[in-house]
Amino acid sequence: MTLRQAQGQLGAPIQGVTLYSFTRAFHGREYDLEGLVRKVAAEGYGPGLEIIGFSSFRGFPDVDDAYAGRFRDLVAETGLVTTSLAINADIGIHRDRLLSQDELIEYMRRQIEAAAKLGFPIARVQISISPDSMEALAPIAERYGVTLALEVHADQYASHPRILALRDRYEKVSSPFLGFTMDWGATVTGFAPSLIEAYRRRGASEDLLEKVVALWNEFYEQGPPADQAEHGQRFGRFIALAAQNGRPDLGIDFGINGTGLFGPARVDDWLEIFPWIKHVHGKFFGIDEHGEEPSVPVRDLVKLLVENGYNGAISSEYEGWHWNHWQSPFEIIAAEQAVQRSAAENAGSRMVTDAAEARSQLAAWLPRPEGANA
Amino acid sequence: MIPDRIIEQGTLTTDGARAAVEVRLPWYRALPASCIAGATLAVDGVEAPAESLRWEMNGRTFTFDELVPNTEEWWFPTDSAVLSGDIALDDAPEHKVEVSLVLYIPYIVIGDGEVLHIEERDAKTMPARKAVAA
Repeated sequence: MTLRQAQGQLGAPIQGVTLYSFTRAFHGREYDLEGLVRKVAAEGYGPGLEIIGFSSFRGFPDVDDAYAGRFRDLVAETGLVTTSLAINADIGIHRDRLLSQDELIEYMRRQIEAAAKLGFPIARVQISISPDSMEALAPIAERYGVTLALEVHADQYASHPRILALRDRYEKVSSPFLGFTMDWGATVTGFAPSLIEAYRRRGASEDLLEKVVALWNEFYEQGPPADQAEHGQRFGRFIALAAQNGRPDLGIDFGINGTGLFGPARVDDWLEIFPWIKHVHGKFFGIDEHGEEPSVPVRDLVKLLVENGYNGAISSEYEGWHWNHWQSPFEIIAAEQAVQRSAAENAGSRMVTDAAEARSQLAAWLPRPEGANA
Repeated sequence: MIPDRIIEQGTLTTDGARAAVEVRLPWYRALPASCIAGATLAVDGVEAPAESLRWEMNGRTFTFDELVPNTEEWWFPTDSAVLSGDIALDDAPEHKVEVSLVLYIPYIVIGDGEVLHIEERDAKTMPARKAVAA
């Protein structure tokens, strides 16, 4: 039982979405950024709004004041609440060498500055940022008033050695501006049925599909890979399975998805880092005929968040768009958010869907910028 | 990631000696020129010589060697680039266009000093429009 449970303070997560869920529609020029923001507001996928800087803002991370002003006006007009700006550590941007530590810190500083300018209180960073870099970025995060939430994503998971090393460093640095983004793809309970259907449409035999599911289930029983070496071995098993069954062309796809999207850790593994979870990617892959997510334990994850007092945002992150060409992402996301709301109510709480409430709750959830703490 | 979108349908042009086609980024986020590591262009099974390939992006034309050090020009996910090369087309009403791309994904570190690179390919059939030489 956590402290918050003992005190009986249930969380009420803020509903939201990341525009990454609509990648296919944006990339296909069906909606531009403004059109998607308006769609999110009109269809009620918010109030929380997450955006990937390098996907949606032309010229990112350069953002001039006039553009930032127009963007903030659009968010205000549509009644949304900016939550997280997803930023990237492009360590390999030069073909012949990796960025030096100083270059990397400056590369991230510019993106953190862009987050502040655009009105995002959180910047999502990724595993390629080391504990040393997170420590170096802490004063920058504090200066801009932007919380850095490093994403815990399959094939890692909360109790993975690399994540625990970050957690231990956070404890030492003791900055309220360092934390984690929980990605639900680390704690999946099955190989996504919609991806099995996509392989079927690509001509994979039922026999092979059964073997793919069985192999994933074997790894689930074993639990998540102990380290990168075991992760690599599992990746190899998927490649070998495809080759042995006459479909070597599908091997890398099996491996990438089977290990990098469908992580087999258990839901309560998140308790290892729970106090540092500042933001959530509600990763999911599809909705079945019963209106449920068949391979991501959405209800258990929402219950965990509520019972442990989580008051930040959940960005619904639909990733089935990679392979699901036959269903509308918009309807699927609406259905997944209905599951989240139902789960929160079953746990004795609710999802926050009112923008004003979400805005003040998020402000209270996150640390205040430097100077405002005194 | 989105390889079926690489070739823009209906954008094949020819001036007689060269062929050009519009291509889309098969990835969800912008990448700098330095991460566009290679391409091939073939029409009706005839591949353009590598040294004849040119890459037009953001109103500028590059050789593939010129892309390598450039981290200032970015390929935005909704923009078309133009890939062109020395291929003479016949007068057939339809042509089979094949494009392959090698992209570095600069934030996914897969080993010591190494980042992920992806190879994606697409093929589409379309008529050619006559265009004046660039």
